[in-house]
Amino acid sequence: MITWIRHHTFALGRALRHIFKPRSGFLLNVIVVAIALALPFAGLTLLENVRPMSEQLAVEPEISVFMTMELPRERAIAAADAIRKTVGDAKNLARLDFVPREKALEALNEKSGLTDVIATLGSNPLPDSYVLKLAGFRDAADAERVDTIAAQLKTLPDVDSVQVDSTWVKRLAALLHILQLGLLFLALTLGVVVVAVVFNTIRLQVLTQRDEIEVSRLVGATNAFICRPFYYSGALLGLCAGAVALGLVALALQPLNGAIAEFARLYASEFRLVPLSVPASAILLVISSGLGLMGALMSVQRHLARMG
Amino acid sequence: MIEFHQLTKRYGQHAALLDVSLSIAKGELIFLAGPSGAGKSTLFKMIAAIERPSFGRVLVNGQDVGKMPSSGLPYLRRNLGLIMQQNRLLTDRDVLANVMLPLLVTGATRGEAEKRARAALEKVGLLANAKSEPMSLSGGEQQRATIARAIVNRPQIILADEPTANLDRGNADKVLDAIRAFHGVGVTCLISTHDEQVLARAKRVIKLQEGRLIDEGVAA
Repeated sequence: MITWIRHHTFALGRALRHIFKPRSGFLLNVIVVAIALALPFAGLTLLENVRPMSEQLAVEPEISVFMTMELPRERAIAAADAIRKTVGDAKNLARLDFVPREKALEALNEKSGLTDVIATLGSNPLPDSYVLKLAGFRDAADAERVDTIAAQLKTLPDVDSVQVDSTWVKRLAALLHILQLGLLFLALTLGVVVVAVVFNTIRLQVLTQRDEIEVSRLVGATNAFICRPFYYSGALLGLCAGAVALGLVALALQPLNGAIAEFARLYASEFRLVPLSVPASAILLVISSGLGLMGALMSVQRHLARMG
Repeated sequence: MIEFHQLTKRYGQHAALLDVSLSIAKGELIFLAGPSGAGKSTLFKMIAAIERPSFGRVLVNGQDVGKMPSSGLPYLRRNLGLIMQQNRLLTDRDVLANVMLPLLVTGATRGEAEKRARAALEKVGLLANAKSEPMSLSGGEQQRATIARAIVNRPQIILADEPTANLDRGNADKVLDAIRAFHGVGVTCLISTHDEQVLARAKRVIKLQEGRLIDEGVAA
């Protein structure tokens, strides 16, 4: 175990010495890889910021059930039992509120600022209604169930129309799904680019250290001993590039947030983009190091085999 | 200790070694003579398994190195002190770091490696140059540094391929004296050379010509 640690310390030392060697080109390679990583990192940051919004909205879908206009109040109130039965599973129904037509008109007056227009109508144009808040609906697939419930509610006697607020949630979820797929494709493509850049960097390193490799073999170095410093170089390249990419994305958020704040204010929202969380950033750093290691592994295996 | 049985090495149509059978006992000092292209270097490469035989066998301590898997070669080479024709000191580090390399490869600590590397450099008379750049040393000094690197692991066998090539008499003698000193403590030494003065003083000279063993007798 101690020998194993010693070998790894030696390899890490060799890798660091090579990195800090003048004209090693390490910094340039870090910048190239960081630019490739910055795009998927930025996309992921955007998705991570938007996802809570869609999740929050999708958690409690709302169905408005409008009764027929001339329905007596007693029958309208009695319809609650039929609505509960239709929703079925009690845990799906988080809340069922009866909204009398008078209260609905009051709310319309308060919120819309259309008091004058409504006053010209003479009578209350709104029917009695129910507002159902559903629980246990988490994603777009669940939104399909909401539609089914709404369709069943519409068939109830005395129900005039049913309005579901899940349509735009579904649209947002579908849009996010497309964005996720696009991001995955982009990440895969740029992952290949990162592996290729590291592959080439390590190839050049193997070639410039050819003498050392040959001498090491002659004095009894194992292949693992020879390869390890290159693996560390690749992983360090990926790690540094990942850190730079995260830094670039965090920097880019500053001016972007200025513009977003302006836009969000129009919708009375405080929405702003925040950098990825520490655990998410750590995972990305592990992934970028892994890509670097993969490029180094492929390059070293290929080029050492060629050296015989 | 080292045995060759009908050893043949071919590169295409050309036979670098042809049907060589030979036995070298533990602790022997043997000189290998022959013109350029006689197969001396190839013979060394066979012992260190840098090249594999086309036919026949090479046994080192009873092990057939020609059939040894690649994973076993590092452990074979740790028992061999290789001094090649062109000294292969690494120019990106000082002499001491060059000599420490075989020890670091085996997992020695830096402290232990440095201590033993300094002792090896002292044995070849180069301790004062421990921190020098290899390129700042003379040809003879570079060759002695290579010897220090070859013996730092306390190998059982030293293989020196033309260690005195391109050296003046004084430096050549110093290099050979350094190798002889290790033979004095029981290390098996195999040295290839063209140097007639050296060969004249050798106890056992093996002569090769065009890949064939033509004489393995004791020199007059």
